[in-house]
Amino acid sequence: MTTPSQINAAPGSDSSYEGPLAHIENLKKYYPVTQGMIVRKNVGYVKAIDGVSIDIPKGQTYSLVGESGCGKTTTARMFLMVEKPTAGQVFFRGKDIHKLSRKETADYRASVQAVFQDPWSSLNPRMRVDSLIAEPLVTHQHLSRTELKKRVHELLETVGLRSFHAERYPHEFSGGQRQRIAIARALSTQPELMILDEPVSALDVSIRAQILNLLKELQQNFSLSYLLIAHNLATVRYMSHQVGVMYLGKLVEEGPPSAVFGDPKHPYTKALISAALPAHPTNDREEIVLRGEVPSPINPPSGCTFHTRCPVAMDICSTVYPERREVAEGHRTSCYLYTETGTASA
Amino acid sequence: MAKIDRSGEPLLSVQDLRTYFYTRSGVVKAVDGISFDLHPGETLGIVGESGSGKSMTAWSILGLVPQPAGKIVGGKIFFKGQDLLEASPSEMRQIRGSGISMVMQDPLTSLNPVFTIGSQVIESLRMENKGPAAKLREMAAALLAKVSIPSPETRLHAYPHEMSGGMRQRVVGAIAISRSPSVLIADEPTTSLDATVQLQYLKLLKEIQETTGAAIIFITHDLGIVANMCDRVGVMYAGKFVEQADVLPLFDNPSHPYTQALMRSVPDLEVDVAHLPSIEGQPPSLDDLPPGCAFAPRCEHAFDKCDTYPDTFTIAEGHTSNCWRHSGDYSVAD
Repeated sequence: MTTPSQINAAPGSDSSYEGPLAHIENLKKYYPVTQGMIVRKNVGYVKAIDGVSIDIPKGQTYSLVGESGCGKTTTARMFLMVEKPTAGQVFFRGKDIHKLSRKETADYRASVQAVFQDPWSSLNPRMRVDSLIAEPLVTHQHLSRTELKKRVHELLETVGLRSFHAERYPHEFSGGQRQRIAIARALSTQPELMILDEPVSALDVSIRAQILNLLKELQQNFSLSYLLIAHNLATVRYMSHQVGVMYLGKLVEEGPPSAVFGDPKHPYTKALISAALPAHPTNDREEIVLRGEVPSPINPPSGCTFHTRCPVAMDICSTVYPERREVAEGHRTSCYLYTETGTASA
Repeated sequence: MAKIDRSGEPLLSVQDLRTYFYTRSGVVKAVDGISFDLHPGETLGIVGESGSGKSMTAWSILGLVPQPAGKIVGGKIFFKGQDLLEASPSEMRQIRGSGISMVMQDPLTSLNPVFTIGSQVIESLRMENKGPAAKLREMAAALLAKVSIPSPETRLHAYPHEMSGGMRQRVVGAIAISRSPSVLIADEPTTSLDATVQLQYLKLLKEIQETTGAAIIFITHDLGIVANMCDRVGVMYAGKFVEQADVLPLFDNPSHPYTQALMRSVPDLEVDVAHLPSIEGQPPSLDDLPPGCAFAPRCEHAFDKCDTYPDTFTIAEGHTSNCWRHSGDYSVAD
């Protein structure tokens, strides 16, 4: 078993830093839309993320929820440094990750790891489990063969597998076990932040709770921070310390899960909760059936992007995007219902 | 939920259905002794994990078991008194679509990408209606309007890729109801849809049921959908029903250990829980099932008797469970 102290001794860590482990500020990512075969002409932008700020404290889970195309995954990709933001910054331990030296960048990449949705496509079928798990270690740390082998066995045990599994190939495992391998691989470099992109939605219902519990246990043992992306709200409530609800590239509501799910403020959050079917036939929930589907992010609606589907839209909503307001401690939302301008005109 | 009249003849009656696959690694018992009755206007939910045989039950009813590996080796399927397993291929062609039709999981693969929506809806209408093309187009547009597709006339000219996921699934729904079937099988129709769109689609299915009076078989792994859509539920595990009940008794008094464990392991949006009780182990592989109860290796209540497959025990009227715990030989601990 790996001890927590080993994990905490992350390379390049600065013990005096006390802010959130990772945070992004007013992050924007626009993808150009081009037209024309020979002369490429820029005809617009897909605003995948449009001014999002979040804080991920050490040892906590921040979850992003929203429908497909709302920018959850793009936000995660910003942390993984696979793409550069159009505007805004990503900070890790207080440092802008795009201003790090080469050595620091390598360290950063080791301390941020990801687990993806589908363990059938995220694990190379031609690699044995031991080389799959050791691959990040070979890249980031210089270990001897025996040390590597020892680490791989420790990691397998940490995720609830046995050391003899190291000699097998991914196809010999079930979905739940594969996801455990993917988690072991992510843990190998002793990360501080893990990006979990729909980690259980490809798994069987009876397996999901096992993996969720494993992730929670690992978080406690190694004080890991998670950025969880999930569309199942109940899963999010179970896993998170903070929840952010996204709609068309913007964070519309944010707060602790008990507040966001127990006392939702933004009409979109309310609709999303109403769409999560209650777990018992007699549980009646307020039913909000939204009109239509999420508009295209290429030409998002003016003002509040949700006003086209919002059941309580007002005139002001189509003009300017509402400012973010704190409605209760740590519970923030961007909606005119909770601003003075909005309440005055309503 | 309206009370379903179960006194009359069932519309669809499946009796001891067995669909096996003969593969190189052995016989895979995908469906192994499934029985249920479906009455007019009723919604039956079949819940189970992937590989539990729920989709294969649907394929078997429609006579679409993949050949030559798959074979229906036993049982009877009566639809309006006719045994479908005895029906000729041309009779089955008649029944598929106009008697029993199906909404598949993924509208991207069940619609042909190179034909317009209109031609695909008309293809199905033409099976029954002869007449000028203009009349068929009109009927197709009316169908699209029925599944709440905005501006149906212009949408007839659209190709599947020009529509969003929710709209595509509505088109699939329109084709499924085009010949007014009396049984609609919906195989995970909303898994590829977003949450708010899923809610719209489920409402639409309910509306269709209310206007046409069709019976629906809802195949899903989502207990939330079952709780909200179904009148009666069958819980499948490894090719068999382990528990069958009306929806309220099932959620109020789940009796089979698998149903109980499954319900406990799903997180609830309404309350904060510190720890979720999970089901240990993996679902069994269908070509290598244990001799007795297939859930026994993962069951916290398993005891020596579980080596033989349990009988069907009646918990209450219309509520059965296949578990030796109900035989009286084992005192229920909780």
